[in-house]
Amino acid sequence: MAQPNASPGLWTLAWRRLQRDRVGMVSLAVVVAYLCVVFLALGGWIARDWTREVGVNYAPPVFFPADQDETAIPLGKSIALPDQVDLYGLQDPLAPQLEAIRARHPDEARSIPERRQLTLPLGGDKWGHDVLTKVIKGSETSILVGLVAALLATVLGTVMGAVSGYFGRWVDDSFNWLYGVFTSIPYLLLIFAIAAVLQQKGVSTIILILGLTGWTGVFRLVRAEYLKHKSREYVLAAGAMGASHARRMFIHILPNTSHVILVQLSQNVVGFIKSEVILSFLGFGVPVDVVSWGSMLNEAQNELILGKWWQLAAAGTAMAILVTAFSLLTDALRDALDPKLKY
Amino acid sequence: MGRLLFILVLAMPLAGFAAAPEKVLHLALSAAETGFDPVMTSDLNTASIEQQLFESLLTYDYLARPARLVPRLAADMPTVTDQGRTWVFRLKHGVYFAPDPVFKGARREAVAQDVIYTLMRFMDPKNRSPYKFLVEGKIIGLDELAEAARRSGHFDYDAKIPGLEALDRYTLRVRLKTTDYNFAHAMAQPMYGIVAREVIEAYAGDTASHPVGTGPYHLVRWVRSARMVLERNPYFRHETWNFEAGDDPDNRRIAALMRGKTIPQIDRIDIQVIEEPQSVWLSFGKGELDMVGLAGQFAPLALQGDHLQPKYAARGIRLDRISDPSIAYYFINQQDPVLGGMSPEKIALRRAIFMAQNDEEMIRVIDKGQAIRNAYPIPAGVAGADPGYRSVLDYNPELANRLLDQTGYARGPDGYRRMPDGSPLAVRYTSSLSSQDRELDEMMKKALDRLSIRFESEKLKFPEILKTERQCHVQIRLSAWIADYPDGDNFMQLWYGPHIHENNASCYQDPQWDRLYEQTLTLPDSPERNVLYHQLARLLELKGVTKVSTTHIRNVLSQPWVLGFKPHPILPSVWAYLDIDTARAPRE
Repeated sequence: MAQPNASPGLWTLAWRRLQRDRVGMVSLAVVVAYLCVVFLALGGWIARDWTREVGVNYAPPVFFPADQDETAIPLGKSIALPDQVDLYGLQDPLAPQLEAIRARHPDEARSIPERRQLTLPLGGDKWGHDVLTKVIKGSETSILVGLVAALLATVLGTVMGAVSGYFGRWVDDSFNWLYGVFTSIPYLLLIFAIAAVLQQKGVSTIILILGLTGWTGVFRLVRAEYLKHKSREYVLAAGAMGASHARRMFIHILPNTSHVILVQLSQNVVGFIKSEVILSFLGFGVPVDVVSWGSMLNEAQNELILGKWWQLAAAGTAMAILVTAFSLLTDALRDALDPKLKY
Repeated sequence: MGRLLFILVLAMPLAGFAAAPEKVLHLALSAAETGFDPVMTSDLNTASIEQQLFESLLTYDYLARPARLVPRLAADMPTVTDQGRTWVFRLKHGVYFAPDPVFKGARREAVAQDVIYTLMRFMDPKNRSPYKFLVEGKIIGLDELAEAARRSGHFDYDAKIPGLEALDRYTLRVRLKTTDYNFAHAMAQPMYGIVAREVIEAYAGDTASHPVGTGPYHLVRWVRSARMVLERNPYFRHETWNFEAGDDPDNRRIAALMRGKTIPQIDRIDIQVIEEPQSVWLSFGKGELDMVGLAGQFAPLALQGDHLQPKYAARGIRLDRISDPSIAYYFINQQDPVLGGMSPEKIALRRAIFMAQNDEEMIRVIDKGQAIRNAYPIPAGVAGADPGYRSVLDYNPELANRLLDQTGYARGPDGYRRMPDGSPLAVRYTSSLSSQDRELDEMMKKALDRLSIRFESEKLKFPEILKTERQCHVQIRLSAWIADYPDGDNFMQLWYGPHIHENNASCYQDPQWDRLYEQTLTLPDSPERNVLYHQLARLLELKGVTKVSTTHIRNVLSQPWVLGFKPHPILPSVWAYLDIDTARAPRE
C-alpha cells in the first residue's frame, strides 16, 4: 500500500531554499573546499613540511621573477668534523666523546651542499619557507581556531542564555550583570587583557580567549528567544506532561531557536578568524612553531617595507576569500532557516 | 582706530624681544627603562638617560678616538700614587644638584662626602647593585663594612674607612687594596653618578622614581615604560663646548658648528619607549624623531652598502656608522636543572645547542648584514680583543647531532630527543614580545629543530627578563653587552662566579675559571693578560657556558637640524653636546 507523502521537515525545507540561492551555494562550495584543505593538512597529507627551507631567502613567486635579493643564497653547507683548534693548554671535557666520533667517521671533513630554489609558486619568506605551503598550513590554524572558539562561545552563550531566559528573576539578573560587565569593556581590550594575563602562547590559549569573550552576542539572542518561547503552549503542555526543566529547555525549546544559534555560530566563525589574525599580528597569537594567517601577516609587516609583498598578498587573499564566502553563506543560511519563509 | 594703533605700538617691541624657540630633541628607546636609581641600573637604555641626569667623577672625551678619560665632576684628572693604589680626586667647586623639594628651596652643592656616600651605596647589600663589581674587593675597608651590614642588616654610612676619606670639602682620597688598572674607568660610569644622601634617604624605597643629580638635565616627567621628559637643569654650572677636534675632518666639522656654545644647548629632551622598530622607522621618516639607531631589518631600505641611500641623503639626513664595542652572546644558565651541570652529557648538550646556531644566517637574515661574526668575548676596539680567535662552537649541526647521539640523547617515538635517563627534553628560550625577538625565536627554533630538541618559548617584558636572569631562572637567551669602558675586563667579568645575581647571567661558578680571572685583575693590558683571556674564553666554550655570536654595527640616523652628533663607542648618550637648528626643525 502506498504510503502518504511525509511533509518535509525544517532542515529539508532549509536545504531546498539554500539550493535555490546561487551565491549561497558558491559560498558553501568555497567554505567546503577550505574545510577539505584543513582536514588534509590536519591529517598530514598536505603542507606537512612547511618548516622546510626550500627556497632562497625571500624567493620571489614564479610569476614575478623580480630582482634577486642580495641576501639570498643558493647554497648552504654543513660541516661534519671541524679542524682542530688551539685549546690553550686546557683539557677538553668532551675529548673522549669527540675521539670516539672521529674514530667512527675518520673520513669526514667535508661540506654537504644544500640546494635551494630561486623562485617558489607563491614566493618564499625570509628563511626560504614556501609561502603556498604556509598559507595551507596557516589555514588549518586559523580555521580551526575560528571553528572551535565559535563552538565554545556558542555553547556558553546558548546555555547561559537558555538558563537566564527560561528561569528569569534573580537568575536572569545575575547573568545580565555578567553580560553587562563583559560588554562594557571594549572587545579588543578585553581580549588583550586576558591574553596578557594568560601569558602562555598557543592555539588552545587563543581558543580559550576568544571563546570566553565571544559568548555575549549568542547569550543576548538566545535569552530573548527563551523569554518568548517559555510561555508558549507547546512548552506549557510539555510541563503539564511532567517534563523536567532541562527537558523543556533543551529538548523542546532549543530546536525552535536553532536557526538563531546556527547563524550566530557562523558569524562567530568569521569574527574569530579575524580576531586570531589580529591577535597574531599584534604578537599575542600563536607561538613561533605554529603558522597561522595572522602570524604570516605579522611577519609580512617588515617584509612589505623591504618590498617583499608576496607573503602578505597570499595570506591576505586566502583570508579575504574565506571571510567573504563565510559571510555570504551566513546570509544565505539566515534566509534559508527563517521559518517565516515557506519556500 | 586709536586703540588699535596703541596695541600695535605695544606689540612691536614685544615681537622684537620674542623668546628664542625652544630646542627640543625627540628620541625613542627600544626597550623600557628600569628606573633611575643609578646603583640599581644595568641596561643601556636607562644608562643613556642617567648619563644626562647624574655626573661621575670622570667621563670620556666626546671626540677623541680611541676613547680617552677626561674629568667631569672632578676638577682635573686624579693624582695617582703608591703604585696605583692611592687616588686623589679634587672636585669642581660650585656644582649643584638639580632642584628638589628635599633641599627645601636651597641650593645643594656636591662635595667629597657625596662621592663617598655614592661609592658606599654600591656595597650596601640591600641595593644588590649590578655594578658593584667595579669597587668590590678593591677599596680598603669597604668590603668589611659590607660584610658587617650583611650580618647586622644595616649598612653604616657614617663609618669612617681608610679607603674613602674626604681630605677637605672638595678633595677625596681613595685607597685601594691592590693596583687596579681600571679604577679610573670605573669612576667614569654613569652608574657611578653622584647622589645626595638626604635625597636617597627621603625617597627610601622609591629612589628609582626620584633621580636628583648634578647633570645637565633633570627629569620632569616620567610615564613608566612609555615616556620621559628631561629639561635643562637650572642649577647646571656654566660649561662651554671646547672638545679638541684634532686632525679628523669630521671632528673639525663638528667643532666648527659647536665650539664656544654653552652646554647644554637643547632645552628639552622628549623620550618615548617604542619597542617596534617599524614604528621607530616611520616616526623618523615623518620627522617626529630627531635621531634613531637603525634597526637591522631596515638597513636594506636606508643603506646602500656602507652609505645612506641617495633619497635620504638628499633630505639632509646624516648617517653615522661605527662597529660597536659590543658582543651578542648566547648563554645557558649553569644552575638550570635541565641544562646545567658539569657532567659530560650536560656539557655535550649545551655545546650541541651552541653549535646548532647559525651565526652567519643570523647576520644575513635578521641583522641584514649590520653585524659581523665575532667569536671572542672581547670585541674589536677594546683592550684584549682578538679578531683572529677561532671558536670550537662554530656552526656545525652534524657534529652537534653526533655529540648528542654519543652521549645518550636518543630520539623518542615522536622524533624528539630525550634525556639520557629517558625523561622528556625541552629547551626554554627567553625573549621579549617585540617582532624582532620573534625572529630570534624562529632562529632558536630552527637551531633546536636541527637537533630534534623540543623548543619552548618564554616571552617577558625586557625589565622582567633582566630580573629573571639575575634570579638564575632563565634557561637560555641571546644577550648583548656593550663596553662600559674599553678594557677586556668589562666583558670577562660577565662570567665571574661572585657576580652571580648581578651580571653573571649564566650563573656560572667554576673555581678554575675564577682563579684565572682573578689573575687577570693583577695585570695591565699585556700579552700575559691576553694569554689568560684566551684560556678564559676557551673554557667558556669547552664547558658549554656561552657562545659569542656577533658584534653589532651601529648605524645612527639624524635629521638635518641635529647639530654636532658623533657616535661615541663608550658613552651611552651624548645629548648634552648636541644642538638643534630651530630654523630647520619642524615646529612643536
